[in-house]
Amino acid sequence: MLNVKRIESGYGAMQVLWQPSIDVKQGTITSLLGPNGVGKSTLLHTIFGSIEPWGGEVYYDGENVTRVPTHKKVEMGIALVPEGKHLFPNMTVYENLSMGAYRKRALADKEESLELVYALFPRLKERTKQLAGSMSGGEQQMVTISRALMTRPKLIMLDEPSQGLAPKLVGEVFDTIQKMRDEIGLTILLIEQNSDASLEAADFVYVMHEGIIKAQGTPDQIKGSTEIREAYLGI
Amino acid sequence: MNQVAKYLPILPVLLAYAILFALGHTVSGTWQLVATLLFYCALGQAFNIFLGMTGYVDFGYVAFMGMGTYGMALAITKLAHVPELGAVVIVIGFALALLMATLLSLAVGAVALRLRGAYFAIATIGVNEGFRFLIEGARIWNGAEGMIFTAQLNEILGTERASRLMTYWADVMVLVIAVLAAAVTLFYMRNRVGYALTALREDEDAAKVMGINVTKYKIIAFITSACFAGLVGAASWALKTPYVFPPEVFEIHYTVEAIIIVMLGGAGTLLGPLVGGLIYGISKYYLSIFLPGLQLLVFAPVIIVIIIMFPEGVVGMLRQRTRNTVLGRFIV
Ligand SMILES: Nc1ncnc2c1ncn2[C@@H]1O[C@H](COP(=O)(O)OP(=O)(O)OP(=O)(O)O)[C@@H](O)[C@H]1O
Ligand SMILES: [Mg+2]
Repeated sequence: MLNVKRIESGYGAMQVLWQPSIDVKQGTITSLLGPNGVGKSTLLHTIFGSIEPWGGEVYYDGENVTRVPTHKKVEMGIALVPEGKHLFPNMTVYENLSMGAYRKRALADKEESLELVYALFPRLKERTKQLAGSMSGGEQQMVTISRALMTRPKLIMLDEPSQGLAPKLVGEVFDTIQKMRDEIGLTILLIEQNSDASLEAADFVYVMHEGIIKAQGTPDQIKGSTEIREAYLGI
Repeated sequence: MNQVAKYLPILPVLLAYAILFALGHTVSGTWQLVATLLFYCALGQAFNIFLGMTGYVDFGYVAFMGMGTYGMALAITKLAHVPELGAVVIVIGFALALLMATLLSLAVGAVALRLRGAYFAIATIGVNEGFRFLIEGARIWNGAEGMIFTAQLNEILGTERASRLMTYWADVMVLVIAVLAAAVTLFYMRNRVGYALTALREDEDAAKVMGINVTKYKIIAFITSACFAGLVGAASWALKTPYVFPPEVFEIHYTVEAIIIVMLGGAGTLLGPLVGGLIYGISKYYLSIFLPGLQLLVFAPVIIVIIIMFPEGVVGMLRQRTRNTVLGRFIV
């Protein structure tokens, strides 16, 4: 569904991505692991187009989308949940979700999307009128993910969704991600620092280091390699 | 929200401008003050569409007023000798003002709006000065000498009507422009443009993630705002005082005043520029009477204190307090 080929990008004169290639198969959870600062977020932003690629290609559903602007990618069904809190704190939960249905295609399916989101996160349904900024960290993360779902994606890229959450909530987030795959049929590209949980949930894993893909395989293969675990994952 | 309820907040705006207008008409000797206030309110309404709705600061804003002034000046000077046109020249002048403001905003916007926040602000600082030096250096539109067109205005309208235009009708036009700018603001707020601008002002990255074409909406707000600035320049500068000198119409001081008005009243609110314009205009007027020469000394710290105390502006604060009340439906 998503094929990234020898992509390059960076900031200013500093190159961050040195031609990593990854493939994300339809209906799977593909996990990208790696320590801090190796370029994981940069890769997602480059795929999404919020950072301009310097070289290489991005294919989505077989189509070359390397230079397609972000709003068109959203229209095509690609969603990104960026790292950190990017919701609108002064708007209510409902208003935040409505913003997700901004594009005409998403607006047409808004009611359906709301039902889907409330089924996934029943807690949000009780809180529609609460200001998003006054919610707990875990709830805010739910709103952020939900808002991305409101864009009606086929592929969703999640940048460290469990960051800063209590261990119990981390489990919940991963359960939800698996539900998104199994019940909604979404394709998921997941960045995580939390290697253990990530290895449990994923169908396929890439390990990144200094802008290069150093290893790839099924979770079992990665877990089975002491070398990879010790060198890049610290587990 | 039904269609009527959506646009109800225009009522307090209309009411305020009607009161202001009636006051200038009935109380003798107040028209001059009212005209000044109308100018500041219109300036605020116009700038708010960009500064308030996007959160981007354009330090070159006055250049669009300058463009409007030149547009009107060019129409009057070039067409004065065509007697058949008569007062239509003024209409052509406004059209030219719009066109020139639009062209400049497209040129500036296409380059500068690709930059984020602070970088955008820095980039626009040079626009004024650069443009002024271009006009003076290349001797465009009479260069540094500027244009004086009182005679042509008299020729077009006759002395009596021309003087009535300068002392009265020009101000009424400013009032109409202010109301139009407020109406467009409300229309944007209640439609997709407004949702997009709110999203990008709050968090540009999040806006992108939702599939909002942020560059497009920034440019829409920028051009709209520039057009109204052009109209204000054409009415309040070219028609009220029929001359144009580059150092005056590219004076950054007006941009700073516009920023203060928008911040004071409440950036991105509908009523804010009106409230900000009134507070600013009235204080400036009386300070210049009671403390001539010292007004800035008193004024600057007071404004800084107000902006620190009410970072959301007067209307922004009122809006928060009246959230979910009947009154709140009118304060936006
Ligand atoms: N906006 C930016 N401007 C300049 N350099 C940046 C910017 N964002 C990231 N970098 C640098 O690019 C490199 C890769 O950053 P990136 O955010 O992609 O890492 P990451 O793998 O996501 O790390 P983390 O796990 O900490 O989120 C780092 O050296 C970082 O300092
Ligand atoms: Mg990151």
